[in-house]
Amino acid sequence: MKILTTVKKVVDVELNIHVKDGAIVEDGLQYVINAWDENGVETAVQLKEDSGAETTLVSIGGGDNTDVIRRCYAMGIESGMHIDDPALEKADAFIYARVLQKVFEAGDYDLVITGKQAQDTDNGQTGIILAEYLGLPCVSNVIGIEVLDDKHLKVSRSGDAGTEIVALELPAVVTVDVSINEPRLPQMRGLMMAKKKAIEKMDLTALGTSADEIGCAAPKSEIVAFMATEKRSGGRKFEGDAAEITARVVDLLANEAKVL
Amino acid sequence: MAKVLVVAEIKQGVLKGSTAELLSKAKAIGAQTAVVAIGSDIESLLPDLVGAGADQQYIADDARLALFSAGPFAACVVDAARQFDADQVWFGFSESSKAVAPRVAAQLDAACATEITDVMFEQGHIEVIRPAITNKVLQRVRINTERMVAVVRAGAFAADPELAGSENVVRLAPPPADLKAVIKELVSEAGSEIDLADADIVVSVGRGARNQDGVELVKALAEELNAGFGASRAMVDAGFMAHNKQVGQTGKIVAPTLYMAIGISGAIQHLAGMNGSKVILAVNKDPEAPIFNVADYGIVGDLFEVVPILRQEIKKIRS
Ligand SMILES: Cc1cc2nc3c(=O)[nH]c(=O)nc-3n(C[C@H](O)[C@H](O)[C@H](O)COP(=O)(O)OP(=O)(O)OC[C@H]3O[C@@H](n4cnc5c(N)ncnc54)[C@H](O)[C@@H]3O)c2cc1C
Repeated sequence: MKILTTVKKVVDVELNIHVKDGAIVEDGLQYVINAWDENGVETAVQLKEDSGAETTLVSIGGGDNTDVIRRCYAMGIESGMHIDDPALEKADAFIYARVLQKVFEAGDYDLVITGKQAQDTDNGQTGIILAEYLGLPCVSNVIGIEVLDDKHLKVSRSGDAGTEIVALELPAVVTVDVSINEPRLPQMRGLMMAKKKAIEKMDLTALGTSADEIGCAAPKSEIVAFMATEKRSGGRKFEGDAAEITARVVDLLANEAKVL
Repeated sequence: MAKVLVVAEIKQGVLKGSTAELLSKAKAIGAQTAVVAIGSDIESLLPDLVGAGADQQYIADDARLALFSAGPFAACVVDAARQFDADQVWFGFSESSKAVAPRVAAQLDAACATEITDVMFEQGHIEVIRPAITNKVLQRVRINTERMVAVVRAGAFAADPELAGSENVVRLAPPPADLKAVIKELVSEAGSEIDLADADIVVSVGRGARNQDGVELVKALAEELNAGFGASRAMVDAGFMAHNKQVGQTGKIVAPTLYMAIGISGAIQHLAGMNGSKVILAVNKDPEAPIFNVADYGIVGDLFEVVPILRQEIKKIRS
């Protein structure tokens, strides 16, 4: 089984993010691997270890992605490519999916694994649109994968009414949720080895396509401005005798907030 | 005039409130509206569908649509969108919607916007507002295509109680099955419990409850209040609570009148699912827990001591 897993470099969501004049203030931001993609990488590496899958990753955009890709190598991914091109600056999910389509078609893969969404946009679209473009079956929000044979997986996804069990025929696309696994921490030795591994860097021409063919000049949607989220402020915090403060808070919920 | 197709949200045979909310918004912007309902044995929902306020109803009712499968569901939506010649397709917020909307967008060559909280019709184009980066910022997004598919965040639009629809039913042919992604089974987690999305009060339990006894303690409080019972991801991952009880960025988005966070630290991914609540009460033994930065009322204390008292006091005040 040949696996293609996608990895995006995203802003670290745990740090403070400020908005000024409709734009995100770049100063002080840090970049990390998208959490859901890290679960995707872990999924691929487990399939390598348990079922002898071959693992390749692709990362699109983001400037210098060396650290992110090396981290995935240290986790156990065998080869990787980084596709970047100035024409991708305004890329939306459809444009990313077109680029991934080109990567897929050049590689004879059986399974594409993407994170279910990226932490910078929270769009949750790219993997699903890729499957549409490729005409492949797709299961999103996946929380478990079992290999049945060369051509079939048993996949579970978290759905509205419970866990949905799906028989999936390869080639296919899955998008994974964070609860599918606990990504391993790369070890020192792995990180050292990763430095020696090549990262194939390509622009759209090297990928065998062009900005025109991908449709880079015409994103279906584009961000025109960022705004700060309305912050909730904390109210009153009560400390002291449990019985006393609890009774007081219940009284406030009933008579002040009027929500009981 | 814009033509908006709303995808009906049906859960366990019941038409959910998001359907009327989305139709109300569509009517408020002067659009012509239709609703598409997909499922098995849903004929009896017709009065509700008309009542939700659409001018036209598309119904795909087939035994093979009993279990959710993204491919066939998307095919039904696309069929209705083409027949109605919709330029807008709006979904309420659910896992199914998130799976289907991008497919529909790709098939209709439309833009796709997920988790939108508002939509504006500017001169000649549409703009939407949506949160991003785990709710740390809002994006204003310009739609460059004529058609748009959107998933609307829970609670974004209010239902207009005056809204009335008219009955114009079109029955859709059953879609082809997805033979390459076959839904085999639904391991149901939803019991007869109150749906988190509808509940007026939601009580959620976090890692502070430690074990099954802690969970039962907090559950008893939820039952006393007739509230929805949710959880943080820590409790879902630990196996104490079902996946579909998770509140947060990767789970349910709730906006009840009262949200009680019991033994929950207040990670940004959890806040992203509940900070639209009207009033938030937090119980946490750590006075520095970040949940207190968003809670209207905070009780600093051990939940094993506080929760039974909370239950008693609520019982008292309600009787
Ligand atoms: C991509 C991604 C998506 C995620 N999505 C979600 C999501 O959808 N929902 C979600 O909830 N999380 C999500 N998380 C996880 C999130 O970051 C936190 O890890 C999680 O919310 C922590 O759960 P918790 O507050 O129950 O546990 P903890 O953070 O461990 O907090 C436990 C709290 O209980 C308090 N406590 C302990 N004992 C007691 C006691 N006896 N009495 C009172 N208080 C006590 C502690 O002071 C502490 O504040 C996501 C993470 C990532 C990376």
